[in-house]
Amino acid sequence: MNWIDLLIGAIVFAVLAALTLIRLGKGPTAADRMVAGDSADTLICCAMVLFSLFSGRGIYLDIALVAALFGVIDTMLVGRYLEKEGGKKK
Amino acid sequence: MQKTKFPAVVATFIVCFAFWVLLTWSFTAQELIAGAVVSLAVALFAARFFIHEKAFWFLNPLKFFSGLFYWVCIFPVELIKANVDMAKRCFGGCKNINPGIVKVPVDLKSEYGQAALANSITLTPGTITMEVTEQDGQPYYYIHWIDVTKPSGKEAGDAIKGTLEKGLRRVWE
Amino acid sequence: MTVRIIADVLIAIGAIFALAGTIGILKMPDTYSRMQASTCIATLGMLGAMLGALLIAIFVKADAGAAVKVAVIALLILVTNPLGSHAIAKGAYKAGIRPEKKMEVDDLGRDLYE
Repeated sequence: MNWIDLLIGAIVFAVLAALTLIRLGKGPTAADRMVAGDSADTLICCAMVLFSLFSGRGIYLDIALVAALFGVIDTMLVGRYLEKEGGKKK
Repeated sequence: MQKTKFPAVVATFIVCFAFWVLLTWSFTAQELIAGAVVSLAVALFAARFFIHEKAFWFLNPLKFFSGLFYWVCIFPVELIKANVDMAKRCFGGCKNINPGIVKVPVDLKSEYGQAALANSITLTPGTITMEVTEQDGQPYYYIHWIDVTKPSGKEAGDAIKGTLEKGLRRVWE
Repeated sequence: MTVRIIADVLIAIGAIFALAGTIGILKMPDTYSRMQASTCIATLGMLGAMLGALLIAIFVKADAGAAVKVAVIALLILVTNPLGSHAIAKGAYKAGIRPEKKMEVDDLGRDLYE
């Protein structure tokens, strides 16, 4: 049985992740860039899960798990940093 | 600093150990023992930060089934409705929006209930909880809303979180 | 075969909602509205793809380890995404990021800075 539908799904999600990178490069403020980065992280996770089922290798699932775990940590880190920095400026 | 309570340690240990087993997915004795030791150390250190109230509230069957009903029936329906609404706005050229931040009173006493309500509001597209304050014993949320149609206060609260809060009040009250 | 068709439909629904979120991130006028659009990706866009993958892993491939891992990834994203959203929204407001067009109702600005 061929798994072409899973490959197409993975490619679609990867292309969407590449599109959010436009906002990552352009965004006027740090919060914009961080939101785009977080979304790209989630989309890459989905693409990796679909590609792992397509190719039948389990290693991509582990990488997706680690990406999902660390995506939230860096988002919260930047959020905390912005909060403290805003307080200092005033 | 709160004191470490025994049920809190047990609950944290069970969650950590279940997560370990799900991640490794192998049932040899060595890996299980290593996981148990690490989970116990984490639970002893971190239980007092995670659990401040009753740890085993879900052993009451009425509360357990109303919680299950909330997470399986009420919340997904709201999630899908809000998602379809947001997708329509996005495909319609992103012009049909009227953002604003409203202040909304909350009628939940328990810490778990307030946390679950704030996370549910953030998880539905169209609303984000930004700040939680308390005035005279009444908690308030500041919510960023993509389409402000009601004045802030009670009416906006009913429009944003009416059904969610009703479902959660059956679980934690 | 039926399971595969259902899984394909679920993945397609997820892709549609993810496309909506991406368009929102690229075209919305201010920071907070972009945040709202990005929630679309992390809920139904992610859930559609993960449910499709879960169905294929359970019923077509019969691979328990992969199915459990997919379920854990979906649950992890669903539980942790609101934490990041809270942190970024609050931090952006405290850092002085405001939309260009003034918001009609702004209770947080009124209560914090007066």
